[in-house]
This record gives sequence, structure tokens and C-alpha cells, in this order.
Amino acid sequence: MSTAYALPKDLSRATVVNTASLIRIVALSLISGAAIASRLFAVINFESIIHEFDPWFNYRATRVLASKGFYEFWNWFDPTAWYPLGRVVGGTIYPGLMATSGVIYNVLHYFNLPVDIRNICVLLAPGFSALTAWATYMFTKELKDESAGLLAAAFIGIVPGYISRSVAGSYDNEAIAIFLLMFTFYLWIKALKAGSAFFGTCAAVFYFYMVAAWGGYAFITNMIPVHAMVLILMGRYSSRLYVAYSSWYAVGTLSSMQVPFVGFQPVRTSEHMAALGVFGLLQIIAFAQLVRSHVSSKQFNNLLFYGVIVLGVGGVGAVVGLTYAGWIAPWTGRFYSLWDTGYAKKYIPIIASVSEHQPTAWPSFFMDLQLLVFLFPAGVVLCFKELRDEHVFVIIYAIVASYFAGVMVRLMLTLTPCVCVASAIALSTLMDTYIDPVQPEADEDETAQSDAGDSVSGSSATGSISGAAPKKAKKLAAAAVAAPPSANPLAELVGAATGGPRMKKGVWGFDTRFTVLLHTFGMLAFFVMHCTYVTSSAYSSPSVVLASTSPDGSPHIIDDFREAYYWLRQNTKEDAVVMSWWDYGYQIAGMADRPTLVDNNTWNNTHIATVGKAMSSSEEVAYPILRAHDVDYVLVIFGGLLGYSGDDINKFLWMIRIAQGVWPEEVQEANYFTPGGEYRVDERASKIMKESLMYKMSYYRFTELYGANPAQDRVRQQTIPKPSPTLDYLDEAFTSENWIVRIYQVKKEDHLGRDIKSANAFEGGKKRKRGRPAVGRRRAMQ
Amino acid sequence: MLLPSLLSLLLLPSPAVLAVANFENTAVVRSIELSGTLTHVATTYAAKALVGNVKTYSIALPRLEKERTSFFEVKVKGQNVPLKAEFDWDSFKARDYDVLRVTLPEPLSVGATMNLVLETVQTRASRPWPEKASQTETQSLKYDFSLFVISPYETLVQRTKVKLPHPEVHSFTQPKDVSQWAQDDAASHIGNVITYGPFRNFAPSASDVFDEQQTMQIHYPYEYPLVEIASYHRHAEVSHWGANLNIDDNIHLRNVGPELRGHFSRLEHQKQAYSTKRVSHIIPGMVLHLPAGISNVYYYDLIGNVSTSHLRTAPAPAKRDARNKQYSTLEMRPRYPMLGGWNYTFTLGWDSNLADYAGWDTTKSKYVLEVPLMTFVPSSVYTEASISVVLPEGATDVEYFPPFAPETQSVDTLKTYLDTTGRPRITLAYKNLTDRHALGTIHVTYRVPFLAHLKKPIAVSIAFMLFFALGLVGRRVNLELHSAPGLKQKTL
Amino acid sequence: MKSISSLLLLPLVLAAKPPQERLAELAQKNNGVIPLDATTFELITGPKRTWSASIQLTAMDPRRRCGPCKEFDPSWKTVAEAWSTVPAKHRDTHFFGTLDFDNAQAVFQKLNLATAPVVMIYPATEGPRQLASGKTGPSKYEFSQGFDPLPLAQHLNSHTPVPIPFKAPIDWNKYATIAFGFLAFATFLRYAQPVLQSRFTWGIITVISIVVFTSGFMFNRIRNTPWAGPKGASVAAGFQTQYAQETQMVGMIYGTLAASFAMLIFVTPYTKSSSRQRVQVYIWNAVIIIVYSILVSLFKIKNKAYPFKLFL
Repeated sequence: MSTAYALPKDLSRATVVNTASLIRIVALSLISGAAIASRLFAVINFESIIHEFDPWFNYRATRVLASKGFYEFWNWFDPTAWYPLGRVVGGTIYPGLMATSGVIYNVLHYFNLPVDIRNICVLLAPGFSALTAWATYMFTKELKDESAGLLAAAFIGIVPGYISRSVAGSYDNEAIAIFLLMFTFYLWIKALKAGSAFFGTCAAVFYFYMVAAWGGYAFITNMIPVHAMVLILMGRYSSRLYVAYSSWYAVGTLSSMQVPFVGFQPVRTSEHMAALGVFGLLQIIAFAQLVRSHVSSKQFNNLLFYGVIVLGVGGVGAVVGLTYAGWIAPWTGRFYSLWDTGYAKKYIPIIASVSEHQPTAWPSFFMDLQLLVFLFPAGVVLCFKELRDEHVFVIIYAIVASYFAGVMVRLMLTLTPCVCVASAIALSTLMDTYIDPVQPEADEDETAQSDAGDSVSGSSATGSISGAAPKKAKKLAAAAVAAPPSANPLAELVGAATGGPRMKKGVWGFDTRFTVLLHTFGMLAFFVMHCTYVTSSAYSSPSVVLASTSPDGSPHIIDDFREAYYWLRQNTKEDAVVMSWWDYGYQIAGMADRPTLVDNNTWNNTHIATVGKAMSSSEEVAYPILRAHDVDYVLVIFGGLLGYSGDDINKFLWMIRIAQGVWPEEVQEANYFTPGGEYRVDERASKIMKESLMYKMSYYRFTELYGANPAQDRVRQQTIPKPSPTLDYLDEAFTSENWIVRIYQVKKEDHLGRDIKSANAFEGGKKRKRGRPAVGRRRAMQ
Repeated sequence: MLLPSLLSLLLLPSPAVLAVANFENTAVVRSIELSGTLTHVATTYAAKALVGNVKTYSIALPRLEKERTSFFEVKVKGQNVPLKAEFDWDSFKARDYDVLRVTLPEPLSVGATMNLVLETVQTRASRPWPEKASQTETQSLKYDFSLFVISPYETLVQRTKVKLPHPEVHSFTQPKDVSQWAQDDAASHIGNVITYGPFRNFAPSASDVFDEQQTMQIHYPYEYPLVEIASYHRHAEVSHWGANLNIDDNIHLRNVGPELRGHFSRLEHQKQAYSTKRVSHIIPGMVLHLPAGISNVYYYDLIGNVSTSHLRTAPAPAKRDARNKQYSTLEMRPRYPMLGGWNYTFTLGWDSNLADYAGWDTTKSKYVLEVPLMTFVPSSVYTEASISVVLPEGATDVEYFPPFAPETQSVDTLKTYLDTTGRPRITLAYKNLTDRHALGTIHVTYRVPFLAHLKKPIAVSIAFMLFFALGLVGRRVNLELHSAPGLKQKTL
Repeated sequence: MKSISSLLLLPLVLAAKPPQERLAELAQKNNGVIPLDATTFELITGPKRTWSASIQLTAMDPRRRCGPCKEFDPSWKTVAEAWSTVPAKHRDTHFFGTLDFDNAQAVFQKLNLATAPVVMIYPATEGPRQLASGKTGPSKYEFSQGFDPLPLAQHLNSHTPVPIPFKAPIDWNKYATIAFGFLAFATFLRYAQPVLQSRFTWGIITVISIVVFTSGFMFNRIRNTPWAGPKGASVAAGFQTQYAQETQMVGMIYGTLAASFAMLIFVTPYTKSSSRQRVQVYIWNAVIIIVYSILVSLFKIKNKAYPFKLFL
């Protein structure tokens, strides 16, 4: 047969196969290396530090686990969170993440490797990303072959969509969850293909791990049943499906109920009903099959058929009934808001307020996936081409995940692996087609027909091997019995990779191949550049530390958060209660080690609304609230001096809204806007806005910093009116270097029993005349 | 007046009184240098032997002073070998003074004279007064001391000079009814020195009969912050494989100046940066002297790296003894300016070439290691200090020689970095270290057998071999009950 | 017409009875909604009111071009109508009024309102229905949940003596369409089974939906973004925003690229003649490069800092 380019002929099969597998291993390890390395930008640019907000809690919990041991951690009641309520941590978290790093920590220390728990936490996500790459490789291998698997692994290794949640330091549940997701799916596919209870159970075990690790486990809980259901509808029911699903569901559900935070949800909530229903349906069908296989009468079969339908409908009815009866909890708000997209904004503002719950605009898709985003559909088409059970799975996954990713930015994470797999399939098929050196013989353009027999023999040889992609030398040898000795092993291997009958398919000439491949590699190179750029620029900053450049152009680090937190830690009472907006709760608990009123585990809307109310109402109203919760310090984030846009004044509207949800009479959003309906902080700001505690604390003595010049708020680009607001019920306790963090101490009641304002007025009167102009002004207002 | 002395003679024969005959002090000059938390006192005794062949000279210290004193050293004037001197504990404890027995280099003959110099360092002798100050106010200190230098011997003339850090002084007490010793006014303030005395013809004052002692008080402005190291832990670890000495200091810093009244205002602080008048009692940062030739210096605290510091490393000196002359400087700043009463804990560490600190003693065929006692924070007192030296794994017959007698000392083993048997760790605990202790070094000698060096590589390689062996077996064991074709085909 | 007559009647009516009864009459005349002008506004929001009132300030005149006003007015009317069905003793303690901008501009200035529609709720200042909190000032109804009558009624319930007996009208034609659609679907199944069972149908559906979702369709749905920006700007500046138009452009681009890849994979290798195949290869490569460059340049518009560009 004619080849487009010369192939080395003198290669024994063993050599080819061994080299191939060696190259595979080397490639995989290189991919893992790349995956880890590309996540270390944050550590190199900044330091080995925990990022963002939630990771700080995970880190804190892990420290408890590492120092006090598992049982202590399991029964850990944290009195400092949600002061004065406290929080039962053991029962309200997914312990998988902490347990993982705890185990790693103990193993290392068993071998006398004194690795700091912080570094384990920081580097956990990169480490698991390597595992994810491997899991994706295995998964894709089941769908197509090794080469596609390697591509997929490489993609998932460096694609920003996944890096965004797994850079070094982002110590969050997603860090390990994606690996678990992919590996569970791989095991499920494996179990389904082989109909093996063993793999089904393995899938269940990893499903349990997933349940223990991430709330997103519900995705698996619904993906697998949907897959099974679709297979049934496609008339692909088989004993393999039955075995795989039953073993997975039984073991998986029972074990998942061992996680305290999940408890009986798997049988009590709607999110899990799909799995249960499909399980039941499978039993019915299996029973029907059994009976059918023994009974031959046609009518009976019909009867059975309708019986099955009735049973199925009855089951669904029962579930619905139970739901109405209240035995089964309806969809929780978070899930429901995925379907009815307006739901959250109306009824759960806290969820709506989180930035990563916003819908995804197309640039985010392109930013996170780049060329994969359009290779993805092509890959799905390929899945349709050879529609084996596992391909059905990928197709369903593709649709569902892309819908969810469109609804919520954070769910881009679940879409990414599927995209990588599909586009890897597409790209590797393309490359197989155009790398394959074998040229088809029958060319209409050529007048001289080549000898047909040769072509048949050659193709049949390759075809015979193409059936089973060979890996072991003995297999190849066995296959080669069919092939004539003349056949070239390398060509066979390549041909085997392309798969399918190669009678009419093929590419002529070298230039065509060269063009396509050059083009492909060009795009891949661009992809790599893109990923590097996005990772280094967008996803590698630990929002705790801000990078900037000093006047001389050298990189400068703005460290106000830690400055203030450390001050709290070192120079305030152990039990001083700190009130701040809930975003900073975990950081304060982690870095300042002080009790907080509310934190990022937003389980108590009223408590958060209380803080919102205190922040948004005037001092006189806020003071009793502060004292009632014996708050010692109030902490606000203020970016006006530096131009740090993520500050509390910009989040203020959400505080107001959430407070309004609970006290519609006392807090009303409209009052904080100018009559023209604008949100301003300059002299045109509404009186209530200026009177609000948040406004006062942010701009306290701000204008004095500018002396005679107008005081410019660099975030809002507005001029703050003079004189600065004055505080009667709080004292400025600490302000960080760039004024980003401002901490105020709440005054105790006046020891002479006067109300504090008049006490201040008295003091002010005793001092210089310009002591407290504000008092006079406020008097005038009343 | 007479009766108690008689009593004391008969009933309580105190060594001081017994010692009367031996010497007389022709002149005693005490100079006190006031500098924040540390006060350096140098007392010169010009003594004349009254009897022949005396070997010991007794120096009396009032209880108050002795309790403050964290360092003392007695020398013959002009020489710099310290003499053997120790407090006699067996003496009677009800007195309000202690007696220091100095063993003279050679016994004196009758009428021979000699000058002894007693140098002491007092810690926290000056206390902030007023005790609270707001962010913008300045700080002043109070120092009180006993007017007369007491001695078991007769003293012809004595005088006390107090050196102030600054010419101006708020107030200082005048001695009362000292006419029996002094002619002219007993205290005078010239420049930045306050002189008490001269006082003439003292009877042996280190006795229970002497009750003329007076407490003088000096209230003076001080424009440098008062720094205290509340606790200091040094962890020095030797690695022969890495030819590296790692030093890791755990420091708890305190500003023991006047406590902050009211609150800290960043606005005021930033204004002060521009104004010329510097605020004395705020610690914005400090300059530390680290050894020369160090590398990988790190400076972090409980929540991570602190980026506000600059380091200038000096190259390692050629000769070992030149080490104390060259140094690297670290300008370290806490995360926040430290006002009165504020705390800050941090960790400071570095690597240095082992050759600069350790050597091979051919005579005893042992390694000799010199570990500097501490990193000194200028003009500060180290309340609690513990220094631990970790030797290589398997180091044998360890001997160590601390520069100053520690409060407690212990040797145990520490397991780290893949250790199998663990490495010996020497731990010394000190109290109230001062600048006079700063240059001390701990000398350690030890042997390391050749096999001890190989311990780690052998352990690791065995572990890996076991791992691979398991892998080999695992690959070859087939756990399948029946061969499912679907499985066989696809296994990597 | 009716409202105008009532306006004409007003003066003499005003002369006669105590305010609450008058208002009640007016309300009944105009099935629930009192058409207000400056004077009646003063009357209904008078300082000594034993009743509560919710007032819609709007601008229905077409000259005002107030789209929302027209959108909101019907639901206002329906809620008011629902209220007018409750027994008189409750009904006459809470009134619905509508004040049009063109009847009383002064009021709008007094309340310094720049926008319409606005719903003000005046609690009772005296008598049994006075608020526990002693609050007498008006409160505003936020249109945070759109202009639908249901949320409005729910909100007003907290201000009326008895809950407003408002039921969302049963949307018959919705059910009808659903039923019809179901039937149609059933019959469709009956005949188009082969179509439904062919993988191509599903493949096309799948791929299209994927492309639609990944090109930011849901963003438009949720934020209901405008088709194009002010003065026909097709691309919204800013990374986190987009116009509906962009979604379509991007969707097209993705589609084209995916299609050309599919072509290279499925069609080209199966071509019979080498020359035609070669042509195809080059065509598709060219298409990919060009369209991809367009995509990247489009992305550069959205994300200014993006450093890379292809041939465009």
C-alpha cells in the first residue's frame, strides 16, 4: 500500500509497543508536571498563602484536625463563629477536604517529614489537579483511545476553567472534587461496560468520597440516573446496566448517608429522588425481563408491559404525593434557582448577592475554554457518530453542564472536564485521520488503477488490528497472525488508532496532511499561550494580598488586610467580638483568631440581616444592636483612598437589601439613593445614607487627610463633603496603612449613666470650641 | 544606735562585720549610665589592704539593686580578665543587701592598694512616668537608686555620677541632712551629668546598724522607644550533608514604653511622618545585625510572610575570629507601628555556611561548633530566652560549654526530616539577657561516626525498594475471578 | 369618561360629606381606583386620616412615553378591583388612588419624583388603624419583583386591614396551548417515530443547544439584556456584560468553526478524488483561521488587556 511519507521499516512490534507505552507514561508525567507548575504562579508571585475567603475556614478546620485529631474535629463546636450562637462544625461541613489533608499530614509526620500543615493545604489543589488529569485520561481512554486520553489530560491540566478554582492556595472543596467527579464517572463507565459489580462498588466508594467532599455531589447523583434512564428509553437496557447501577446506588447511597451533613437527605429530598426512582424502575424492568424470559405467552407479555408502566407511574405518583405530604422535602432554594433563574433574586438575596452565582457572559466562556469551546460541539458530534453507552453519557453531560454553566459562573467548573474530553476526542480524531500515512488507492483522478488485491490485504490487516487497539506485545503478535509479514507495525499501530473500516476513507498527498497538522499545532500553541496568560494574570492573586507597583516601578505588595487582622490578634482581648460584613468572617476567624458575628457560612439570614441593619442605620439605632450582641470592634473595608473597588461601600446595597428583607419598615433601599435614583457618596448623597454607620465609618476623618484639597474617593470618583462625619458611639481603634481596613471600638455605656452623645457633647464643650461640630449640627436638625 | 550594733556583734555575727579589718576604701566612684530599659553601672573601688595576705574582697549590693542586676563583672582596673566573684549564699539572709566575694588575682601585702571595677547591668530600672501617654505626647522615665555606695569597709570618699541621655532633666531629688559627710551641696547638675557627693569618711556601711541610706529619684525625658523581648527562642540546626547551619529565631516583641492612652489614629501617624518632631515611644521598625555570609533569610509571622523588610548581606569573613566585626543588616518593620504596650510576634531565620561556625579539632578528633547565643535587638532586655542546638543525627559524646550559667539546661533527642533514631538537642534557658550577653557563643563538641552519615540514604532507599517490590507484585497478581473480555483489552 | 364626570362632580361632593365617605363613594364610582388631582390628593393624604391609602403616581399620557406606566397600570387596576369586593367596613378604610402627572405636576414636584410609576402607601395617622410603630410617613413599593399584580397584592396585604382577595386569573389559553401541544406531540410521536429515533435529529438538537448555551444565551434570559446597546452599539464594553446581539454573533462563529472541523473529520477524508479533497482541506483550514481570528478580535474588544491577536 502507498504511504504519504516514509516509515521506518525495521521495527519489531515489541519495540513499537513498548516505546508507545513508555511515551504514554512520560507524557502523562509531563502533563502532571505542567498541571502542577501552572498552578504555582500565586506562590511564586506572592507566597505560600491561603486565598480568598472560604479556604480560610477550611484551613482553620484542618489545623484543628491536624492538631487535635479526628474525633476532636468531628465533635468540634466552634463558639467563636456566629457569636453568640456558635456553630457545630462537625455536622455542618463536608469533611472530605480536611480529612484528606489531615491524612496526608499524618502520613508525612509518621515518616518524620515535618511539613507545615499550611503548605499541605496550599499545595493540595495543584496536587489533585495532576490526579484529575490522570482520571480524565482514563475516562477518555474508555471513550476513544490513549491518544485522545492524553490530549484530554493535557487540556484539563492547563485549561483556565479548572485552574480558576485550583490554583495553589485556593484550598476549597472544588480542589479535590473535580478529581473525584471524573474518577467516579470513569468507574461508572467502566462498571457499565463490563457490567461488573466490582467497579460499580468502586464508583460507589468514590461517590461517597465525593459526597463527603463537595455539595456538588448532587450532580453525580442526578447524572448517573439520567444516563441510566436515557439508556433504558433508548431500549439499551441490559443486565450490565442493572448490575452497575444497582451496585452503585445501593452502596453509594448507604455510605453517603454516613456523612452527618447529608444524613437522611438521600431518601428525604427531591434532589435525590431521580436516583431512587431509576433504581426502582430498574428493578421493575429487571423483574419483567426475568418473567418474560420464562413466559412466552404474547398477551402475558403485553399485560406485563402495561403492568410495568402502571408500576412506574405509580412510583412517580407516590414520590409526588410524599412530596406534597411533606415526607420528601422539595427542591432547596439553591437548586431551584438553577431552574427558575429569577427565583434567587426574589427570595434568597444572600445567594443572589454572591458574585460567583451570576450568569455567565460569553467572554467568560471563551476566557476559560478558548478553542475548546468550539471543538466541544465537534466532539459531541463524534460521540453521536459511534453511539456506545459511554458516549450517551458524555452527550447528556455536555448538555446539562453547558446549561448550568450558562446559569451560574461557578458551575463552569463542572462543564470544563466534559469540554476537555469532547474536544480531545474531536482533535485526536482529526490528527489520527491526517497523520495516518496510508493513502487510499482508488483515486478517481488517477487513470492507472493500482492493484486492488494489495489494497484489500493491507487494509484487512490493519482493519483486523484496528478492532482492538493493541497494547501488549503478545496481543499484537496474536493479531499479526492475520496480517501478512510485509505489513509495517508502525503503520498498523497508527492505522489501529484511527479505527473503523478504512475501505474508502483516507487522505492523499503530504501537503494536505502537513497543512492540517501545522494548523492544529498552531492552534494548540496559541491555546497554551492563552492559558498561561489567563492563569498568571487573572486567576493567581490571593485576594488577601494585593499586588501593586511602587513609584519606581518595582512590584509592591499591599498587605493591609493582614496588617489589621494581625493587629487584632496581638493587641485585643482574646474574646473581643468583631462585627464585619459576612464576607470577612472566615478571614477574621482564621487570621485574627477572634469571635465574629457572621461569616461566609451564610446559614442564618436573620443574623446577617441584623449586621446589615446595624451597618445601614444611624448610630443611635445601631448602638443598641451592637451592645446587645456585645460587639467590641466593628471592622469595615474602605477602598476610597487606594481605589480598591471591592470595598464595603460597594457592597452596601446588598447589606441594605438583606436587612430590608427582614425589617422592611425600618430599612428601605430607596432611602439610600439620591432623589434622582443614583447611588452617591458625595454631598448629593441622601441624608439617611450620610447618617448610616457604614458611611460614617468609611469616611471618618477621611477629608482631613487631604487638608484643603477636595477629598477624592478613588473608587466612586466622587468628592467627599467636608467636614468628615463624626462618631459618637464608636472610637477609631486602628486603620491600616492604606486605610483599606478600618477598625472601630464600640464605646461602653457612659459610667455616669449619661447617654453617650451628651457625654461627648460635654467633653467636646470642655475641649477646644471646634471639638465636636457635628453635635451642634445634629441638634439643629431635630 | 549602739544597742542594735552590739546585738548584731554578739548575736548575729555577720560576715560583713567580721571582714571589717581587712581593707579600707580610699575612694569609691560609681557612674550610672541611664539608657532606657538597660542601665549600666560601673563602680570603682580603690582599696588599701590593712592586713597582710588577704585573698578576697567583699562588695556589698543593696537587695533592690541586686534584683535588678542581670549581669555583673569584676575586674582589676586596666586589665580585662574578669575576676572570680560570687555571692556568698550561706550568709545571713535577713539583711537588705548581699555580699559579693571577689577572689583577688594575688594576695595583697599590708598597705598595698588596688583598684577594682564592678560593672553591672540593671534591667527595667527606669520605668515610664507618666505611665500612659497618648500617640502624640513624648515619654519620660523615672530612675531611683540608693544614694550611698555601701561597703563592709570604711570608705574615705565616695561619689556617684549619673549620666543622662540628654542634658535636660525634669527633676532629681536632693539628698537630705548629709552634712556629716558632705561640706558643699550634695548634688549638682552640669551638662548631662548629675553628681552626688563627694561624701567623706564613711563607717562600714554594709551593716545592720547603718540606716542613713536614702533613695534618690531622677525623672528625665527619653526619646527612644523602650523595647522588651518578652520571649526569645532560638533553634539552631546543624546539617553535615548540607554543610549548613540553620538558625531560626522566634521573637515576641513588646513596647514597654508608656501605654497608649486613647486610640491609634493612622491620620495622626501619617501626619507625624511629615512633621519634624519625632514621637519617641513608637517603634516603627528596627535595624538588626545578623551574622555575615548568611543566605535565605526569612521573616514571617503567624499569618505568613512580612514583606516590609530590607536586608543587606555582608560576605562571609575570611578568618573566623573576624565574624563579630562584619555583619549583615536587616531593616525589619512589624506589620504595624508598635505603640506603647503593643505586642508583635515574628519568626526570623537564615541559613549559613557550616564552615563559618564548625571546625574539626584534630587533637580531640571531634567536631567543634560555635553557635552565637542570640540576635541582639538594640537596647532591649530579653526576659525569657531559650536556645536549643540540634546536632546531626547519630552524633555521639556531646559536650557543650555555655558562655553564661543558664537557668536550666537539658539534652534530649528530636526526630525530624526522615530521621530514624533522632538527633541530640541541647536546650539552654536564660532570663534577662542584655547587650553584655549579646556576643556570647555556645561551644559544642561532638563526634559523628561514618555510618551515622549513611543512615538516612539507606533508610530511604530501603523504603523505596519495598515500595517498588510491592508494585511489582501488585502488577503481576491477577484478582479476576473470570476473565471479562471488556476488561482485558483496556488496561494500561 | 366616567372618571371625568366624577371629576366634574367633585366640588359639590366635596362640599357635603366627611372625607372618608366621599372617598368611599369615589372609589365605588371608579371601581376601586380613585382618580386623583392635586386637591383630592391633599384630601386622601390629609394629616388627620383614619384610613390608609395606596396611591399610584403615573404618567399615562402618550406624550410622556412612559412604557412602564402602561405596563403597570392594568395590574394596579385589577388589584384595586379585587379590593373593592371586600365588605364595606374594611373596604372603606383603605383606598386606591391614581394620580396622573398631567393632572398634578405640583404633587410630583412636592414629592420630588423624577420617575414614574411610583406607588406610595400612606398609613393611617389616627384611629384604630394607626400603625403600632407610630409611623405616619408614606412608604414606597419597590418594583423589585416586576409589575405583576400578585407581588403587589402581597405587599399591600401588610397595609390593608384584611388581605386583598386577589387571585391570579386562571390563564385558560395557557392551559389550552399546553393541552393542545401535548396532543400535537402525541400525534407527532405517532407518525414521526423514525425521525425521533434517528440519532441525527438528536445530534442536531444537542449540538445547537450546546452552542446556544456556551455563547451566553442564559445570560440574556436572566438579565434580559437589550438586543443592542444605545445608538446601535452591537458590542457591550466590559467583560461581564453583553448584548443579545453578541450571543448570536458568537453562536454563529462557534457553529461555523465546529462545522468546519466536523467537515475536516467526516467529509474530507471520504472524498473520492484527491484534487477535490485537497481543495476542501485548504478551504476549511482557511475558514477556520479567518473565523477564529474574527473571534479573537471580538474577544479583544471585550477584554482590552488581552495581549494576543491572530491575523486580524
